[in-house]
Order: sequence, then structure tokens, then C-alpha cells
Amino acid sequence: MTPAARRLGAPREVRVCAGVGGRPLEVEGSEISAVRESWLVEDSWWSEQPLRRRYWELVTIDGGDLVVFRDLVGGGWFRHR
Amino acid sequence: MVVAVILPRFSLAIAAGGRAALAEGPLALAPEPGRAALVGEVSPAAEALGVAPGMKIAEALARAPRLRLIAADPVAVADSWEKVLVRLESVGAQVEDGGVGLACFEARGLGRLHGGSLDGVVKATRAALKLPARIGAGSSRFCAVVAAEQARSRRPSVVDGAAQLAGAPVALLAREPATAKLVEPLSRFGITTLGQLAALPRGSVSDRFGRAGITAWEMAHGNDRPLRPRKPSEPLEETLTLIESASGPQLAVALEMLVDSLLARGELGGRTLRAATLSAELTEGGTWRERVVFREPLSDALRIRTALALRLALLPAPAKSLRLAAEQLGPPAPPAEALFDDEEFRRAGRLSEAIGQLRALAGPQAALRVLLADPGSRIPERRAVLTPYER
Repeated sequence: MTPAARRLGAPREVRVCAGVGGRPLEVEGSEISAVRESWLVEDSWWSEQPLRRRYWELVTIDGGDLVVFRDLVGGGWFRHR
Repeated sequence: MVVAVILPRFSLAIAAGGRAALAEGPLALAPEPGRAALVGEVSPAAEALGVAPGMKIAEALARAPRLRLIAADPVAVADSWEKVLVRLESVGAQVEDGGVGLACFEARGLGRLHGGSLDGVVKATRAALKLPARIGAGSSRFCAVVAAEQARSRRPSVVDGAAQLAGAPVALLAREPATAKLVEPLSRFGITTLGQLAALPRGSVSDRFGRAGITAWEMAHGNDRPLRPRKPSEPLEETLTLIESASGPQLAVALEMLVDSLLARGELGGRTLRAATLSAELTEGGTWRERVVFREPLSDALRIRTALALRLALLPAPAKSLRLAAEQLGPPAPPAEALFDDEEFRRAGRLSEAIGQLRALAGPQAALRVLLADPGSRIPERRAVLTPYER
């Protein structure tokens, strides 16, 4: 990436407490009341930097909408918005 | 006196990873993707087996079954050659770039800087190059090139005029694009040396071979055009690493970002672009490079993109990275005049001026815009980027 251009919406690491099957129960201390959707994204599997993520779209107990994912290659939880 | 510097098999040595690799066996440079299936430069071992540059791959492999084809790397070659030219310029020479592997400069005027003799200039040139090179000097450019071709020792070879050219083969005319096509027909006529060519009547050569024939005849007489030294310039380039192997619309977006980033560079100082080089690293290995000379100096991002997109369409395979370099800059573009009194036009002018001032204060990242790089991507961070706002 050229120094004069930068990506928007880069994921940032978050602290997630997950339950059975990897379902998030708490994100940054906020309790999750519902899971709206969950999906798997696999990409660049042909390259040296494969990408494999389990996404979760969540609703927090205070009504907030979050999209987080678990990095299935490198580990760790990340949040998009 | 003109000095010529020849670095034999330069492209092959770079692509093979160094000169030492050339001694490992028969090697030849594979054609660039999308080009004719002809071998490029060949190693001494391959040459000994009868393989010659420009030969069809099938024929080359038939002659040398153990021949190893090295993937061409035009981008690395161009970068390394630029370094060689800069090193030559560092001795004070005004260098003419004769294409990869050949450079010429006028030694007159350099003598005082380097001991007062041609030997001093050659010694300084070797010290600056730090590479094995054949160096020759002559009364004209062509004489110097012939001398360099004949040079073998650390002392330069000197060819001073037509008399010393007489025994040289006509194949040396291949060094000049204008006369390269004459080598084969001259050989068929039994004219194998420059002396034989020089002995022919000028009119006969002109009638048979036209302008190229006259040029070759003059060269055989020790005359050549004056040198055309290049103007040393500051490298100005932008590179974009593509996360996914890109082609089609993604490449067009990448090109848009590169052009915007290049035009936002402060070093450009409002000047126009006369020529640019577009290069790419291909996912399947190897590189690709195209030089684009604009019909007129341009500063408008859309027009630059349109011209470059035509060449980008020639990219033979998906790319891992894309690079855009400004090769020649033109004069600053005059401010465009509106045909009518247009509020929108004046507003755009004020906005342009404000962004210019902002960039002068805070650098190219001062004014950015959101560009949808791949809006349909399943990976959110690939959908949009912030790129310099183009005035």
C-alpha cells in the first residue's frame, strides 16, 4: 500500500468471552443478548497468507449492533464496527 | 573522444540473481509473458552450444537440451540499469543511455577531473561502476562502441576513425536500432566487415538500403550522430501492493490510486508529466514493464489514467503489485481559463488553491478522499481506502 493511501474499516482487536461453539457471550464487557447472524469467510487460500474468519453479527444488551470475527488462522478476536 | 561502456549479458545476470550464476551452465533469458517465444540474452555456456539471442525457444532447446530458461525480470533490470547510469553520472559524465547494457559519454572535459588522461577517466569509471565492464573509446559514438566490443583487458581499447573499423564485423551495426535490420541482408551479399561496407559507393548503398543504408555507411566511415545525454532526474514513483492477485476493474482502481498519489507528491511541484513507466510484479512469477510517452505533457489525472489504462490492458497475468514512475516531467500546466463566467468553475479553483496550500503545509496526506477499491468484497477492510484528493 502506498504511504499516501490507507485502508478504511481495518479491524481492531477486542476482548471477547465466548461460550459453547465459539458463540460470543461478552464483548469488551458488554453482555450479548442475541446473535443476528454468523458466517464463515475463507479467502486467499491459494496464497501464503490465507484468510479464514468466523464472523458474528451481535446485539448487545443495551441495543448496540456489533460485527466481530474470530481469526481462525492466527487466532484472536477482532471487531469491524 | 567518446567513451562507451558495455555490460555484457546484463539482463540475464540480473534475472539469474548475479553474475556468478552465468557460470553454472547453459542459461537463456525466457521471453516476457505475452511476447514472442524467443530467447533473450544467453550465457557463455549456452553460446558455446550454438544458442543465440533471438532464437526460437524450441530451436534453442533442441541445440542445448540442458538449457535452463530464466524468467525475465524487466523491472529489476530497469532498476539496476538506472543505478549503473547514476554511478556513471557520479564521475561527472553526461551519459547517453544506449539501452540496457550500453552507455556512452563524452570524455572531453572529464580529463581535468581525473588526472588529465583517458586512462584516468576509464579508471574513475571502473571505480564508480564496481562491475566488470568492457570500456572502449573512439572518435565517434559508433567507434567507441566497436572499441568496447573489442576490449578484453583492463585497459580501454581505442578505435580512432574508419581505418581501425575496417576489420570489424558488420554484425556490430545491430547495436544501433536504425541499422540493426541491415546486418542480415549485408551478410547475404557477402559484405561481412565494415571495411567492405565503407568501400561501396555511397549512392549504391543509398539506392539499395535507403536511409538506414546511408546511416550504416557513415558509421562504417567513423561518423556518427552526436551523443544525446539524458537529463538526470530525481526518481519519483509510487508502488501499490495488491492484497489479492488483481486484474480487470481492481487494477483500474489501483491505477487511479497510483496516479492520484503520484500527482499529490510535493516533489512534482505542479509540473506536468511527459512520460511514465508502469510496471507490475506478476503472481505467476516474473515482472512486466511498459513505458508510456504522453502525446503532450499532462497534469490531469483523468487523462493520465486514460492513457495508462490502455497499456495496463496489455498486462499478461494478474499482478501482485503495481508501480507507477514519472520518467520525464514537463513545464507547469498553465491555469485553465473558463469560457464563461461560471460560479462552479471559480469555486473549483478556490477549492484547488485551498488544497494546494493545505498540502504545502501538511504534506500529501492533508486532503484525502474515500475511494471504493472493491465495494463488493466480503472482507470489509478491502472495500474502501483513503487516497489523496485529486484537484
